[in-house]
Amino acid sequence: MKQANNNEVDLLLRSLARGRNESALQNRLGSGGGNQATPDHLDADELNSYAEGVVPAPARARYMEHLADCDACRGIVVSLTAAAGTATRSAASEQKGGVAFWQKLATLLSPAVLRYAVPALVLTAVIGISLAMWQQRRQHEFIAQNEPVGSSTSTRPSKQTESPTSPSTSETHSTIQKRGESPAATELFKEENNLQDDKTRVAQGAGSRTGEIASSALTAKDAGQPAELNDRLELRPGYAQEPKAAAPAPAASTLDEADKSNQVAKEQPAKREDQERQRDAYKNTPSDEHGPNRSAAPNTAGALSNRRLDGLSAGRGGPSGPEKKNKAGEKAGDVETRTVSGRRFAREGKLWVDTAYDSSRTPIKVARDSEQFRALVADEPELRAIADQLNGEVIVVWKNRAYRIQ
Amino acid sequence: MNKRTEQIENLFAAGASRLLARAAENHSLTGETLIPRIRAAVGKYVLRDDPQAAPEVVKDFIDKLQADDLCLIVACEQGNQKAWGDLVERFSATVRSAARSASSNEEGAEDLAQSIWAELHGLRVRDDGKPAGKLAYYSGRGSLAGWLRAVVAQLAVDQHRKQSRLVQPEEDADFDRIIRHGQEENTWSGHGVAVNPELEISKKLAGAEMQKALAKSIKQLTAEDRLLVKLYYFDGLRLHEAGAVLGVHEATASRRLTRVHAELRQQVERILADQGWTKPETEQAFSEVALHLEADIEPLLATEGVLMKKENEIAG
Repeated sequence: MKQANNNEVDLLLRSLARGRNESALQNRLGSGGGNQATPDHLDADELNSYAEGVVPAPARARYMEHLADCDACRGIVVSLTAAAGTATRSAASEQKGGVAFWQKLATLLSPAVLRYAVPALVLTAVIGISLAMWQQRRQHEFIAQNEPVGSSTSTRPSKQTESPTSPSTSETHSTIQKRGESPAATELFKEENNLQDDKTRVAQGAGSRTGEIASSALTAKDAGQPAELNDRLELRPGYAQEPKAAAPAPAASTLDEADKSNQVAKEQPAKREDQERQRDAYKNTPSDEHGPNRSAAPNTAGALSNRRLDGLSAGRGGPSGPEKKNKAGEKAGDVETRTVSGRRFAREGKLWVDTAYDSSRTPIKVARDSEQFRALVADEPELRAIADQLNGEVIVVWKNRAYRIQ
Repeated sequence: MNKRTEQIENLFAAGASRLLARAAENHSLTGETLIPRIRAAVGKYVLRDDPQAAPEVVKDFIDKLQADDLCLIVACEQGNQKAWGDLVERFSATVRSAARSASSNEEGAEDLAQSIWAELHGLRVRDDGKPAGKLAYYSGRGSLAGWLRAVVAQLAVDQHRKQSRLVQPEEDADFDRIIRHGQEENTWSGHGVAVNPELEISKKLAGAEMQKALAKSIKQLTAEDRLLVKLYYFDGLRLHEAGAVLGVHEATASRRLTRVHAELRQQVERILADQGWTKPETEQAFSEVALHLEADIEPLLATEGVLMKKENEIAG
């Protein structure tokens, strides 16, 4: 509707301009003069300065006022602008060298730019460091989770049967907060963290253990049986309950950390394969980990840990094997589509085709740099948006007409 | 001399020194010879619109003057023959090119180019004994080449006006007939077979009212918007050309034009409402305008082509 209104005004303006040009021509022939309504014409210096765009803003506004009403001056400015544009382009192409570089550098380091750039850079750095630290923590957790479950059998019996769910620290946090039981649990976390600082032998697996302790604390709390932290530290379970087939070889918790790390590093590739197999199994297992019997369901713990592993592996290197396969299948089967300005386009090679396009119709070919295109987008600005957002050739159906924009 | 004037004069003197230092060839000029030129330029472009302009603004303006071009022109005005030689050598091609653009034939272009040098030098003599040429009007704000093109274009317009004052030739009577014919045939409201004469007259009147309202609405636009409308519709420029004159990108010009359409329509509706038109009447009139103009576009374009051809012949 709005576009139609604009078209009506456009047509009226064209009609008015035509009539005016004709009468101006008649006047010129009859009286020998053009538009003489404005006696104070701009002088050559003003015309040139305007055309070259070097007039200060207030003076420019004054000149525009004159040019809007003076055909003669406007005509000269139009020709000068065209000449100045050509001259500027050639000068710009010639002047691609050291001076321009230093000018750019000076502009880049100007106080006006730095005023905003420095805080932005600091903020980016802070976010980056935070992310890196977070990733590092997650990595530690990951290493810890690969720690053989039976490694602490000599000093701490497995609590798998007591707390089958062994969510990570973050999961436990969130669970606690969701349940509104945060004060006591948070206290436990604090105490446990303090204890951790004192325990020099627990280094790499700290994150995981924290989570384990918290989870067991939570379990204990659920059961209404708070336990001593030291006991919990000793009685902490393995990272997750895993099926027997995927269970890692036990390792002694009293080994020194270097030996443990080496062992874990050796076991990791095989372990990952096992985990992937587990995930496959998990996908086929109906889960109800959000239900009330969450802690009682033996498979749920494995499912949760697998989910976390999924997240970790996704964070590290994208989807796992089966997911990759699925995505590849999707890519092969699906056609890339995009929606621009309310129209849906499907990609066919380098061509974007409007889904509403009927291939039996012959589209009107319009080159992007042609005057026809400019006129078209001037009337239909949404077509410009479509042409801008879709690279390559585009076939679009617009107002019952098909256009092929090249 | 008050403090402000003194401050400005100091800025001129300092600016003249910097300008001479910037120039690759200062033609043995001194700062004093440049100060009047700088004063005139600052007064024309800065102080006229803002008499209380900050010293930084004035300093910045002076530092953006074209040092080499200004020194060359001032040296020419001082009668420096070497500078004249340089000027002619460096810019004769520019002048010829501009003259060819402004003239329809080579002979006319050559005459125009020759007359430019005479105009620049000045055929009359001022009170101080120096020639009163156009060189005195170059401020150094824009490039010398651009200024010379502008001088050529203005001279061409002046010459064209002088020639146009001659008696209208006989053959142009035919052209007048074409115009009248075009007007009668192609007025949007009068095109086609009149089924109902009363209705046709009514439509013609409505169309005339609407065009009057539109013309009035255009006058009420801001200078920049009015200039855009004039450039695009009345001068027949393309959007990117109109954008270049306005100093904006083609896309900006397009968006601005769309906004202007909406403003004009609102303004026309307001004017017609003041004249007693109802909203449905206005809507209907707009629709009919669009309908008739679209139907008439083919013959109008054909006539426009004839008119343009004839106009070019006359201009040539």
